[in-house]
Amino acid sequence: MNDTSKEEELIAKLKIIIEGCATDPIDLSNFSTSTKVQEIGLDSLTILDMFYDIEQETGISIEQEELVDFRTVGDITTLLINKGA
Amino acid sequence: MGIVSSLGLDQDTVWQNLIAGKTGIGTLTSIDTTECKVKIGAEVQEGVVEEQLKLLKRRPVDRTLDQSIVAARDALSQAGLYDSEAELESQDISVVFGTGAGVDHSLYNAFKLFEEKGPKGARPTTVPRCMHNAISAALSLQFKLTGTNYMVVSACTSASNAMGMAFRMIRDGYVDTVLTGGADAFFNPFYFGIWNNIPALSKIEDPLKACRPFAEDRDGTVLGEGAGVLIFESHEKALARGATILGEILGYGESSDAKHITSPDADGQVKAMRMALNDAGIRPEELSFINSHGTATKGNDSCESESIRTVLGEAVDHVPVSANKSYFGHSLGASGALESITSLLSLKHRTVPGNLNLENPDPVCNVNLIGPDPVSIKQGPVMKNSFGFGGGNGVLILGPPN
Repeated sequence: MNDTSKEEELIAKLKIIIEGCATDPIDLSNFSTSTKVQEIGLDSLTILDMFYDIEQETGISIEQEELVDFRTVGDITTLLINKGA
Repeated sequence: MGIVSSLGLDQDTVWQNLIAGKTGIGTLTSIDTTECKVKIGAEVQEGVVEEQLKLLKRRPVDRTLDQSIVAARDALSQAGLYDSEAELESQDISVVFGTGAGVDHSLYNAFKLFEEKGPKGARPTTVPRCMHNAISAALSLQFKLTGTNYMVVSACTSASNAMGMAFRMIRDGYVDTVLTGGADAFFNPFYFGIWNNIPALSKIEDPLKACRPFAEDRDGTVLGEGAGVLIFESHEKALARGATILGEILGYGESSDAKHITSPDADGQVKAMRMALNDAGIRPEELSFINSHGTATKGNDSCESESIRTVLGEAVDHVPVSANKSYFGHSLGASGALESITSLLSLKHRTVPGNLNLENPDPVCNVNLIGPDPVSIKQGPVMKNSFGFGGGNGVLILGPPN
């Protein structure tokens, strides 16, 4: 699987996971790699929850020091691809 | 006012069901009761809350919280403080809300994960999801309410205590508007399971007959779920913005029995009822009726009857006494709110729903009990009693619009 299709698959997965872990209203109608994390209301706690769900589903564990400032959804997918997703 | 209950999600439907003598109690379907002694309760119809959440672009988070959100939307809409078509703007409205069990579905799920996987099983958002004030926080966030937000937790008295607090905050001039009421939705294996081992629940298997407030053959209460939301606003502000006023809060009284964790005490109840009447500046004979706590347990109904007799004195034969729990079940921290809403509907229609299943009143409950059919009432305020485990008592005096 090339990086583009991996990324598309990850985007679809992320969308489901984020919908599942958001505690407040969240609009994911235009969800893509260029979507800004702040725009969809993904705060630091929700991002932690999201990585929790990713770990439960894929086994990929994200360490504390890897939790940098994610500006876009693409930043998250890049990290996950680099971790072997 | 906004209501989510086993009798419906809007005031008209709920009122029609009450007047028709239809109970919301049925065989439980949302949980597996195979191992439970009790298999009945008053559930909100499956899927209806979820449908309403979609309109708010929300997904279900927790049954208690979700029901609160839907009831709050309807209350704010009726009060003219929310328009689904308009862009939402911040409003200086406080949230003072009651619950007994809180977000117990979230807690149950969190405990399960923790038990299975240890600390690694805890979602990072477990704390904000499971804190008791998750409900008031969600109400504030969803509707951009920038006054204070917190919960009042006092078992079955929670909603009435919350409303009393809201009333005092407005009367004392601290705030103009408060979203108040209460919610409880505890049909999950743990919470319903632990209630099964309390002898307070009815053992009668027929859902239509199981909850029998003040009847001689009553044998316990039946649990129910729901959310009731009321918007309290200063008279001046409501008039100034041309709001439709549905009723008036005239007085409030509260006390603690300080006698027993679960058994009620007449002294504490009398103290709260008298405090509420004094606060409202009305005499007992002026009451149009009393909407009792009326749980259908042996202990509550006899004790409450004794308290009412003491407080009413000679007026006891002239003030009708009703109970709503044979319709909604006992919705614990929501009950004071649901029953305040029905009280205000009774004042509007000048009619009190019948005491369902009260074919044979207990002679010990020697007050002016309404029979199984609805009755007309005179114009006048209603006293709404709520009493809870822990010994808390909260009594509201509600009047028709002034």
